[in-house]
Amino acid sequence: MSDVAFQEDEYHRQLDLALWRRVLRHARPYRRPLLGLSVAALVVATVEVFFPLATGWLIDEAVANGVSGRLYALAGFYFALCLLLSVCIFAFISFAGRVATGVAFDLREQAFTRLQQLSFAYFDVRPVGWLVTRVTADVSKISSLLPWFLLDLVWGGSLILGIAVAMLWINWPLALIVLAIMPPISLISVFFQRRMLGSSRLIRKTNSQMTAAFNEAITGVRTTKTLVREDEALREFQGLSSGMFQHCMRNALQSAAYLPMVMSLGSLGVGLVLWRGGVTLGSAEGSMTLGTLIAFMQFAAFLHMPVEELARRFTDLQSAQAAAERVQSLLDTEPAIADSPAVCARLAAHSADAPRDDVAIDGFSPRIERIAFRDVGFWYKPGEPVLQHFDLEVRMGQTIALVGATGGGKSTIVSLLARFYEPTEGRIEVDGVEYRERALEWWQSNFGIVLQSPVLFSGSVRENIRYGRLDATDEEVEAAARLVNAHGFISELSEGYDFDVGERGNRLSTGQRQLISLARAVIADPQVFILDEATSSVDTETERLIQDGVHRVLEGRLSFVIAHRLSTIRAADLILVIDAGRVVEQGTHAELMARRGRYHALYVGQFTRQREQAWLAGDATPSKAELR
Amino acid sequence: MQAQTHRLRLFWRLLAGQRLVYACATLALVVASCFLYLVPLVPQIVIDGVFMAGEGEAAPSRLTAWAVERLGGETFLRQNLWLPALLILAFSAIAGAFTYLRGRWSARASESIIRRLRDQVYDQLQHLPCRYFDQAETGDLIQRATSDVETVRTFLTSHVVEIGRALIMFLVPLPLMLSIDWRMTLVSVLLMPVIVGFSVFFFLKVKSAFRQTDEAEAKLTTTVQENLAGIRVVRAFARQAFEEQKFGQANTTHRERDFRLYRILAWFWSSSDLICFLQRALVVCAGAWWVATGSLQVGAFFFFITAVGMFMWPLRQMGRILTDLGKAIVALDRIGEILGAARESAADQVAAPGPETLRGEIVFDRVSFAHAENSPVLREVSFRVPAGSSLAILGPSGSGKSTIINLLLRLYDHDAGEIRLDGHDLRELDRAFVRRQMSVVMQEPFLYSKTLRENLRLARPGANDEEIIEATTVAAVHDSIQRFAHRYDTLVGERGVTLSGGQRQRVAIARALVKAPAVLILDDALSAVDTDTEAAILAALAARAGHHTTILIAHRVSTVMHADQIIVLEQGRVTESGTHLALLERGGLYARLWQAQGEAAEDCERERLAGLAARAETAPP
Repeated sequence: MSDVAFQEDEYHRQLDLALWRRVLRHARPYRRPLLGLSVAALVVATVEVFFPLATGWLIDEAVANGVSGRLYALAGFYFALCLLLSVCIFAFISFAGRVATGVAFDLREQAFTRLQQLSFAYFDVRPVGWLVTRVTADVSKISSLLPWFLLDLVWGGSLILGIAVAMLWINWPLALIVLAIMPPISLISVFFQRRMLGSSRLIRKTNSQMTAAFNEAITGVRTTKTLVREDEALREFQGLSSGMFQHCMRNALQSAAYLPMVMSLGSLGVGLVLWRGGVTLGSAEGSMTLGTLIAFMQFAAFLHMPVEELARRFTDLQSAQAAAERVQSLLDTEPAIADSPAVCARLAAHSADAPRDDVAIDGFSPRIERIAFRDVGFWYKPGEPVLQHFDLEVRMGQTIALVGATGGGKSTIVSLLARFYEPTEGRIEVDGVEYRERALEWWQSNFGIVLQSPVLFSGSVRENIRYGRLDATDEEVEAAARLVNAHGFISELSEGYDFDVGERGNRLSTGQRQLISLARAVIADPQVFILDEATSSVDTETERLIQDGVHRVLEGRLSFVIAHRLSTIRAADLILVIDAGRVVEQGTHAELMARRGRYHALYVGQFTRQREQAWLAGDATPSKAELR
Repeated sequence: MQAQTHRLRLFWRLLAGQRLVYACATLALVVASCFLYLVPLVPQIVIDGVFMAGEGEAAPSRLTAWAVERLGGETFLRQNLWLPALLILAFSAIAGAFTYLRGRWSARASESIIRRLRDQVYDQLQHLPCRYFDQAETGDLIQRATSDVETVRTFLTSHVVEIGRALIMFLVPLPLMLSIDWRMTLVSVLLMPVIVGFSVFFFLKVKSAFRQTDEAEAKLTTTVQENLAGIRVVRAFARQAFEEQKFGQANTTHRERDFRLYRILAWFWSSSDLICFLQRALVVCAGAWWVATGSLQVGAFFFFITAVGMFMWPLRQMGRILTDLGKAIVALDRIGEILGAARESAADQVAAPGPETLRGEIVFDRVSFAHAENSPVLREVSFRVPAGSSLAILGPSGSGKSTIINLLLRLYDHDAGEIRLDGHDLRELDRAFVRRQMSVVMQEPFLYSKTLRENLRLARPGANDEEIIEATTVAAVHDSIQRFAHRYDTLVGERGVTLSGGQRQRVAIARALVKAPAVLILDDALSAVDTDTEAAILAALAARAGHHTTILIAHRVSTVMHADQIIVLEQGRVTESGTHLALLERGGLYARLWQAQGEAAEDCERERLAGLAARAETAPP
């Protein structure tokens, strides 16, 4: 079971360009905002090239001619540049927002839809929290990176180019001197950014370890106290927090060293301009004026910004690569259980027809009369069978009870029946048709399933019951609740059917959740009913209500019950005793009791336990009738 | 007001030991910014004192004249321009060095504080009494220990530094600027109040937009979370389309809110950028005007343009930071609540008891306990367990069985009566000492996310492999462990294999046995173990009788019947006590339960016979 798929992610040093090309495809619907973004970035870069130039012109004009009409014009030009720049900034943030939120929306929708199709084998090895992070944080990371990456690529690239062209145009020897500081700045940026990426990854990793440590400290506080290992636990934690300290320090020192180095290189450029430019200033070559000199100094001081920004974006790309890989692989995972091409073809052929009561969406009969397991086997890993050579033939109206030790294969049988998994061997037939030939949606919509630990969704009681049949009226909801004995406690809730059950139904007791999940199954009026009886004890009164409710639900359906309650077991038409993936005994209650074998032992044990439970719980007169 | 001083005191205490380092960091910051402003001063001096010497009407300032003089005079400088270039580089490098020191020291101080804070919170959590955890929510506590601490960390490592930097970068050049040209100084700071005020105003204003986006994101997360947690229900009802629609709504809302936030931020950045650009434009244009009219030197003009760029951008960040300060205060308060709670056994670390190990005689003398007033859990419970013997407690859930254990372990302190351990009053014994004498296995035992071997060795780090295997054999879990791929080195818990409830219980029993305690307590610790294994474990434990005092809590007569002494607990009172036989004779609840077992077997037999008869009837002749 322990798959390493969700373990600590390995990081790759190299950028996986093929992967990013595929990720970039998700931005295709946003070509227009991306174009707008690029144009805005280009304009911003151009304006930023013009600022120092305009300053230089202003100075030259002021020095040469004093207050003049041209001076006013230049001042006006300068203010206009300011306006243009801020308009473009507004534009590119808006465009980036459009792309980021759009891509996030699309990716989430696709990922969620894909999760709805993937088979249980996928979920078995991946914790819910891990999957949730894929749909939320990972998608955010990718989608917010994409537009900014593109923006900085265009902005940084064109700014560097613009500055270079402007300087070369004006005074190429001096320009070459200034541009000479670029390679060292780039090298330093890449060097430090890489290292900072490494240390921030360590910080993140240690951080999650620390959260786990806190979680353990709190949930295991009693154990820690009784083992008197507070000091040792603290020492272990101090190991983590010291590690965190070191990683944070390393990261802080890296950035503390990085910025001054880049700034100093910029200053070196300014100094070189002052020196080499100053020398030519007085000379007769003419191209060098004081304004130009000042403009060059500003360029030199500014040049490190786009270089730094570009280096940072490529590092971001690298740091988001793991997220991109995970999301992309989720989207690329094909559901292991899906309709075959033949079934899809049949579905398509019948989709045009008007819905009919006597024909299912895949063209077969919508009624289920007989279900047969034919030599069915199942395993997760070859050589470790969970179920082998399972044969069974059942008819509509029967109740089949599955009993036996935990892990024997009872749940596997019902999971195969509901096609949550498919047999690795043998076949399951519905009225003679292999069930993989039928539409998955049709098949699963005929099931009512009540799980051992009933999961409700946040929302009202009514919404939860209606989950079984979305178009059920309020009256039908109430009728279903009445049928399974849930109406009584519901009407005692503060808001009745509008009572909010809380996240996963945690505002209700276990017994109440069970009753609601019964009602939810019953309202769907399924042909096949699967019930995994809870072992957790509920109070006697609720237990009685549940038992009674269960009996009413089972009537008139084909039911499979993983049974713990004696009353359910006894009422079954067929009892299968499952152990180690095989049927060891089968028959009715009376037959199996008569055999005095495995079932007899199980039954007597359960009988004793149940009666003891009832007595201990203060049930003063547990009549035999109630125990049944 | 009092809350404020309390907060300040808490904060001040937080800085303990690092205050000097912070002072050094601040000093380094001042020095660094001084040198940073010297960098543009060099071109200013060269331009005004060398390039423009003798040109224009305005005479170079005294500072410029003095500096040119010190550097060897105008003519010398004109021929040796590498000297000012070198100065620029040198100043910049010095500023860089001090910036590095500032970063190093402030990081050292902040990260040390946070490390200490984390350790404190962790230590505190381990020493809070169980009562505290009864009332607190795990998620909330974790939140405080992690994200609230992180908020304080951001405040210390980034916000404090940013605010200090913005202030110092703004204040340091002011005298210099004023000495060069007071009119330009005025123009340079003209829009500063607007820049800061606008950003503060803005972030206060859009707080709700941020919150709404956060809420939409939280909603989105819960929707996915719920869907995946209930994926079996979704499939069971084939509700994929419905779920997709539900998610689609949350997704759409999130997109809208998120985009609105982008829009708002676009407004903010573009308009605050505009104010900043206008500020610079004012300096550029006013400077150009005064240069044109001859009352400002070009170098001084250059200095102002550069200086504005240096102090303007940090100030603009202030709005975001100042509005975030509230978060740090709230976080600090929430952490303070944990740190301020009373620890377990603060006052009663009394009396080092005589022997290192106790024999394990336990006496309860009319012990009463209530979690809250008017709802007593135990009422005058009395019993005596001689050292080395076994006591079984039977009773319905909620009767107070586990409470007896909790009192014995001093996880809670009893309200009335007396508990004696080897004759010592329990309240006079150190908690840790008491707990070292006992091993307890709970119904839902907790295993640490370590390897099995580490888990087993927790209680007695010196235990060798033979002792561990002996314990796991008694607990009937050795064979299961051998079947794991990594055997005793198998990692359990969240990042390792998931053990079944029964396996966890058995590992916990082994862990308890490794400790070789004076008192072994099994609190319904076999509930998830199948009947045969349970019997085997109980038999193995019985074979060790006399090694330690045993307390066994159970729901079933068959589990408790072999104990030396059995008490029946109902609604916090001992209603029956004695040996199995004595209790049977007494004819109370215990006897009835025992009969129920027999009757059950009889009933089953009757059913079986009925079944046989029925089959005989229906069977073909």
